[in-house]
Amino acid sequence: MTAGLKTIISLSFVLAIGFLLVILSCALFKQYLPLLVVATYVLAPLPNWVCGRCANPDDFVESSSNAVVDFGRFCTGFLVLMGVALPALLAHSELIRWAAALMSITGGALIYGTIIAFGMFFQEEEE
Amino acid sequence: MPEERLWKFRKPEWMNSATARSAGVYSAGALFSLAFFIMVDAAVWSHSAKNGSDPPIHINFVDWLPLIFSSLGMLIINSIEKTRLSADSFSYSGNGVAWKARVVLFLGFASLAGGMAGGVTVLVLKYIVPETVWPTLSMGVSNVAANGLVMLSSVVLWISQNMEDEYSYNLAL
Repeated sequence: MTAGLKTIISLSFVLAIGFLLVILSCALFKQYLPLLVVATYVLAPLPNWVCGRCANPDDFVESSSNAVVDFGRFCTGFLVLMGVALPALLAHSELIRWAAALMSITGGALIYGTIIAFGMFFQEEEE
Repeated sequence: MPEERLWKFRKPEWMNSATARSAGVYSAGALFSLAFFIMVDAAVWSHSAKNGSDPPIHINFVDWLPLIFSSLGMLIINSIEKTRLSADSFSYSGNGVAWKARVVLFLGFASLAGGMAGGVTVLVLKYIVPETVWPTLSMGVSNVAANGLVMLSSVVLWISQNMEDEYSYNLAL
């Protein structure tokens, strides 16, 4: 129980640091485009969950259900790389500064890592 | 099915695991995303203040056309049911299903290769022939890079979907 509590506390700390970095990267330069990274990383695990529900886990042989799962994974991979590519794109065109891009990428990675760690943690709890 | 094996080298063992399969699908998505955003980056850059080309060269619909064809080809290739391709020896998939699948697959590969060729065409005709210098030339190079990445992404997705078949075959036994 205490181990689970420690995990939750440390994860929330990491999440707060991630949000801090992203918001700082926006507010320091008065340019609020890097906030899109948060939206991307929050959306990223969503296709995986939705398609995991859609697929029927009972029939392994039928590959049509696996196709839905694969599509969800494809979308998740797309969105995860989008979180890195978007700030780099904005910085390359000088819409934001490189410092802001680096901070928002780091913050977004922390946020996404928290989401993934939370998912794995609860999956282990269920089993 | 060891007797029906065509190639000398056998597939490594780790390629049949479920982890490698899902990692392949994830990285295919990431590669496609990289291709798309390289192209978006070129478009955004061409309309930003950093594009100092004179006379001005911008990304317009012609530059997007090869990527559209590549993506269409990738969609077609990976929508085909793979088991129908090698099904000409089985009786249950008669009536030329394998032939239909091969024709559609050929259209997909033609679209993919046409996208790649279109990318090179845009690079040559729009950027190399008017002798543009580097920061402007990068828009054409990113076009070719985006199409190549779409190709690579569809290869990775194809391989990992074939892995899936092997995996489910092992499960079914």
